[in-house]
Amino acid sequence: MERLLITGISGGLGRLLARRLAGEYEIHGVDRVPWEGAPREITFHNADLRSRRIEDVFRRERPDAVAHLGFVRHDFDPELRHDVNVVGTKRLLEYCARYEVKRLVILSSSYVYGALAENPFYMDEDTALNVSRHYPEIRDLAEVDTLATAFLWRYPEIATAILRPVNTLGYFAHSSIGSYLRLPYVPTVFGFDPMMQFIHEEDVAEAFVRALERGARGVFNVVGPGAVPLSVAIRETGGTSVPLPETVARRALDRLFRFGLFPVPADAVDFVKFPCTIDGRRFHEATEFRPLFTLEETLLSVRR
Amino acid sequence: MARAPTQSKQLTSSRAASRPGRTPPARTAFRNVRTTPAAEESSDLLASVEQILSWLGSETLQRAPRFLRDLEAECREKIARAPMELNSYGYDPWGFNTDTACRSMVVTSLIYRYYFRAQTTGIANLPAGRMLLIGNHAGQIALDAAMIATACALEAEPPRIVRGMGEYWLPRLPLLNVAMVRTGSVVGTPKNCVDLLEHGEAVIAFPEGIRGMNKSFTERYRLQEFGYGFMRLALQTDTPIVPVAVIGSEEQAISLGNFKPLARLLSMPAFPLVLNFFPLPTRYHIIFGEPLRFSGDWNDEDRLIGEKVEEVKQSIRTMIDEGLAKRRSIFF
Repeated sequence: MERLLITGISGGLGRLLARRLAGEYEIHGVDRVPWEGAPREITFHNADLRSRRIEDVFRRERPDAVAHLGFVRHDFDPELRHDVNVVGTKRLLEYCARYEVKRLVILSSSYVYGALAENPFYMDEDTALNVSRHYPEIRDLAEVDTLATAFLWRYPEIATAILRPVNTLGYFAHSSIGSYLRLPYVPTVFGFDPMMQFIHEEDVAEAFVRALERGARGVFNVVGPGAVPLSVAIRETGGTSVPLPETVARRALDRLFRFGLFPVPADAVDFVKFPCTIDGRRFHEATEFRPLFTLEETLLSVRR
Repeated sequence: MARAPTQSKQLTSSRAASRPGRTPPARTAFRNVRTTPAAEESSDLLASVEQILSWLGSETLQRAPRFLRDLEAECREKIARAPMELNSYGYDPWGFNTDTACRSMVVTSLIYRYYFRAQTTGIANLPAGRMLLIGNHAGQIALDAAMIATACALEAEPPRIVRGMGEYWLPRLPLLNVAMVRTGSVVGTPKNCVDLLEHGEAVIAFPEGIRGMNKSFTERYRLQEFGYGFMRLALQTDTPIVPVAVIGSEEQAISLGNFKPLARLLSMPAFPLVLNFFPLPTRYHIIFGEPLRFSGDWNDEDRLIGEKVEEVKQSIRTMIDEGLAKRRSIFF
């Protein structure tokens, strides 16, 4: 049986993926947070991605494949976020090259393209990573993606896949958009109602499985069953949208975020203002991936 | 942290049970805010406001004259028959929505039939599948685009939804950006245009752009310089070009000229000195020409692309001249 190393295994997506692949691979998991009640066949290593102990795991276990999901996405400290995500990824990529990993799948995000007014509705993988242009607090997204892309071209012998899934919803995955839609009163920007694509967390796990199975190599957008306007998403998930004028929205959300009362940094307000929708054709062609959940089911998964 | 799996599974099943028989409607089916139970238990502020508005709307509509009710039913039926890629919520990937489009189509149809009393010829020339409608642009406000779109939805068989290419600053304006997207227009990036055409949509473009729309009254029916972008997109996607001539739009506003310094000061694309604030009720004649098909390298040098553009321009010019010769009066 091949050995698979999953970073960030205690996160929602990590657990889903580990459970999904438990019979097919010998699974080793790495996380800062312990996973209580992990299935017995999974070997858990409690370590920070930036620490030396990760290299020991590589040295001892010699994984054939790595699924990199170990990111801090909703910590209120931007420095910690940047440090764990960028430095952690950099180290991990070094070990992957040194210990001759055969396949590597890295979780990125569709947010790397940024939400710009003039965004086309189908952005393909060659679109510029504009997230770094306007949103310093979530700049690490683009940096991780760029690091991974550089790695992809530098080590052609390693089948590296970088997955950029759209807004992920589900019971387990701790996504910012999920927390946002779970709010009883959802602040929105008055006069704006962008189209948003959603994907179920199980489908993101499925995308990882596909990429690992097929040894896909490249950068891939991963889209779900479709797009609806934000207002429809809020309605279908049982929330009440509270449209605020833009200046008020920005200031209020910034305060709330600093106090830990709001899941999304104020910089990200543009994501509920302008579209950030992508084209998933390339991934479908490479792996025949198709989302299993319908749009209704995906939205219902965060219904209050 | 993540929730316990059993609990959330139970929650979903109870949620699912509380909304029985919610079957996604068929692709072309019409989802109406008024009639579907989608907003039933939702306490969405916007939705409730919308509900009150639509309730008022339906009340007034019941008391409205017969022809208005018939017109609404007609628009509804036409949009339902138009070939579109709608999801189960009644939206297409670009944000087009059948309900909003129907409402705005009632308004444009009224203008089309009773204000401009438009006469459309050659609508049978529209090919099936993707096409690029290229027309002359005039009249200070883009009513010509709306009238061409209304003609394609009302008169064509099957009805076609025409997708406009909006200016880059439009999506930054509150409310207007939503209205633009829901009625089928998109930001005019080349990528959007290519995607729309590849999905078999009908896209309208005015290669004269602002130059045509804001020209002065003395220059009416004189085609301004054409941009080349549309031809490259047509070649790239192998799309037939349907030339469209609009007669009447060029007299709807009497502009003395463009006050450029003030436009620059207000960072507006143009500041036309218009005598009449409201467009004049000229009679519109909309003429659809035979589709033109071009082949060649879309990335060719400007000189070669320009020759093809000139061909399109010439065909629009011929149609305008013929239409003007046939017209008896500006207003009748």
